[in-house]
Amino acid sequence: MMLKTTLRPGIAALALLTAAPGVMAQDLMIGLRAGPDSIDPHWSTLGSQAEALRHVFDTVVDVDDKLQLKPGLALSWEAIDDTTWEFKLREGVTFHDGSPFTADDVKFSIERIPEVTGPMPMTLYTKYVDSVEVVDDYTLHIKTKGRAPSLPNDFTRLFVVPSETGMDARNEEFNSGEKAIGTGPYKFISWQPKGDMVMERYEGYWGETPAWEKVTRREIPDDAARVAALKSGQVDLINYVPATDYVSMQNDSSLETSVSDSIYILNIAPSVKDEEPQPIKVNGKEVDGNPLQDLRVRKALDYAIDRKTLVRVVLEGLGTPANQLMPEGFFGYSDKLGEREYDIEQAKSLLAEAGYPDGFEIDFTCTNNRVPGDAVVCEALAQMWSKLGLKVNAQALNGTVYFPAAAREEYTMTMSAWGTLTGEAAYTYGAMVRSKDAEKGFGNFNRSGYSNPEFDKVFDEGSQLLDAEPRRELYEEASYIAMEDRALIPTVILQTVWASKAGTLDFPPRVDQETRAYEITPE
Amino acid sequence: MFGYLIGRLSQAVVVVFAMSIIVFVGVYAIGNPIDVMIDPGATQEIRDKLIRQYGLDQPLWQQYFTFVSNVFHGDLGRSMIYNISVTNLVFSRLPATVELVLVSVVIASLIGIPAGLYAGYKPNSLGAKLIMALSVLGFSVPTFWIGMLMIMGFAVELGWLPSGGRGEVAEFLWFNTSLATSDGWAHVIMPAINLSLFKMGLLIRLTRAGMVEAMGAEYVRFARAQGLPDRQIVFSHILRNISIPIVTVFGLELGSTLAFAVVTETVFNWPGVGKLIIDSILQLDRPVMVSYLVMVVILFVMINLIVDLIYARLDPRVRLKGDS
Repeated sequence: MMLKTTLRPGIAALALLTAAPGVMAQDLMIGLRAGPDSIDPHWSTLGSQAEALRHVFDTVVDVDDKLQLKPGLALSWEAIDDTTWEFKLREGVTFHDGSPFTADDVKFSIERIPEVTGPMPMTLYTKYVDSVEVVDDYTLHIKTKGRAPSLPNDFTRLFVVPSETGMDARNEEFNSGEKAIGTGPYKFISWQPKGDMVMERYEGYWGETPAWEKVTRREIPDDAARVAALKSGQVDLINYVPATDYVSMQNDSSLETSVSDSIYILNIAPSVKDEEPQPIKVNGKEVDGNPLQDLRVRKALDYAIDRKTLVRVVLEGLGTPANQLMPEGFFGYSDKLGEREYDIEQAKSLLAEAGYPDGFEIDFTCTNNRVPGDAVVCEALAQMWSKLGLKVNAQALNGTVYFPAAAREEYTMTMSAWGTLTGEAAYTYGAMVRSKDAEKGFGNFNRSGYSNPEFDKVFDEGSQLLDAEPRRELYEEASYIAMEDRALIPTVILQTVWASKAGTLDFPPRVDQETRAYEITPE
Repeated sequence: MFGYLIGRLSQAVVVVFAMSIIVFVGVYAIGNPIDVMIDPGATQEIRDKLIRQYGLDQPLWQQYFTFVSNVFHGDLGRSMIYNISVTNLVFSRLPATVELVLVSVVIASLIGIPAGLYAGYKPNSLGAKLIMALSVLGFSVPTFWIGMLMIMGFAVELGWLPSGGRGEVAEFLWFNTSLATSDGWAHVIMPAINLSLFKMGLLIRLTRAGMVEAMGAEYVRFARAQGLPDRQIVFSHILRNISIPIVTVFGLELGSTLAFAVVTETVFNWPGVGKLIIDSILQLDRPVMVSYLVMVVILFVMINLIVDLIYARLDPRVRLKGDS
């Protein structure tokens, strides 16, 4: 008898253990290539940072899966005069500690950013803000420095922390969980740099209740290790499936993949400065002037790119040919630009017309670890141009080496990935094509020396319009001018692949590559 | 012995200084970390402000001087990426690497040394040939590839062991270690075996070479002539005599595994320091790179010192020289 009574609790415990898988179905384990650098939402603008912290904190404005604006903590926004935006905030929202959310919290969050931000500064999103005025608990007036039509776009990354946080709180307090209090769908539990981020459902969330009680975001940077974690059942979902594994997963009925266009496009930037940084040579002799200044040469480079082959063969099908610097559907995407054609004959005759019938020798530099496929596309392009008669010295470099040198403008022709993070043209064309103007903050990524007064005029006019429709038209025209002039040569839009066990999860793939646990439901 | 120790330590200080200068110059030559980190949308104004804020506009010697004077105040700097102190960052991940390396070293010695002794004792037997063939595989086949094969076999196909991560940790002697839980052991065993293969191959070959040589040596023949049993000859005479090269290589290997277990850590997603340093290099997180490499130098110097002390214990000749 004695034995029986002592055994009973043991058996009960065992029964509980075996029942555990049923309870576990409420848990979601995600394997991700990258995670946050801190739990302080105002520390860094890094994409993987925003993606992770979105679970805990809400932004003032949210974006849908095509990066178009939708209400977040603000229900609506409108420009009430040239330098004032009015934001109407959502009522009845509470922070994870139960305190109510009001306009003061947004004001505090905006003012906190310059005090705490790091080497990828969030001040980028508040640079137009002159002052913040709290009208009442749920109305805010933002006074801007000059006209700021893109302010609502900037506020898609404006995470709100409670005003009780205090100006002294730093990364440590957030990482420990002490100050990690937001209004988001999940409460923060724990995080280790480069390790697991664990979260628990917040029952008082204002939006739709997420399906998962507990979510763990595990960082697994190595591609093969991430795939193995999924295959062995350690995680339920992984992002950034490499192209080679994607192909083999197509034949594996136990796994399911989802593919989406990303915002990332591989662009070629030919330097059009009077003197190119690395010499261009014909028969081993440096040429006079810079051949890339000639539009015919840039067009020849463009016509010689077989984008369909790049997608089908080089990227294993995981891409789309690009004809401008951002994907279709983005604010400022020009419909007038047709598909880029591949015409080697025309390319050859253009090159001959420009005075280089036998081609020339040129250096071509790109990254090899920033986005999937950057190095292979780079090498493939070099081969395609060799058909044109060029001798291309392609060099794929680690980002650590590439970016500082590119910033010093040491390369004649480069290729790198660019994503239109805000979903609109001003972000991309203003940074990469607009003539350099440090004062206005334009052209800071214009490293090819490109300057076109006609483009600048149209673009500047657009960036001063608060009314969306005429602004859109001007941006579309600016896109058209820049692309016809081959200021940059876009090649392919990269695609992102997620994978999960077949028939387990449902989730909409997003163009910004984010994996949002609260948008995932069990199938 | 004391003078010897002082000499070694002052030597170490010089090495650490030289190393920090080399790292600083190397990182400085690559360029400004801000250019790697900064958000593409940032304006020139924001960029300039940051460069000033992190002191990156100052000349190299001045940046180095600031670093060194901070170190003398016990401050190894803060990570630019995480904004937490480098010491905290490194020590939050060091236990994971240490436990992985310890388990792998134990596996390598427990298998490698007896296997080497056997292969040297009966060099012409089939077993010896098999051991030697396997030892060649151990250090000629790339670690990451064997690691992936192991994951495919034991984790994906058979589902016996987890494919990566550190698993459950529990406190044991002031440390949080996965060696205190069974789930932790399930996680550590595969990467530890993977990490031990190279060392095992090395130990087998070293032990065998020493054994073969010793078997022909006069003291062994005398011992045999005296009628001592082989077991006693091998374990109390030969093993002690061939230990010196083994200890040297073992020490060096221990150091380099601790510092650079990065391949295994990557394949098995083990949250150790190896991965931390590689990430820091990719992001040009200067304070972490410099401080970590300086710590590695200190580690190597310490291991070498310990190895020399063990020498002295093993070989009376070294002991005598040290005293003089």
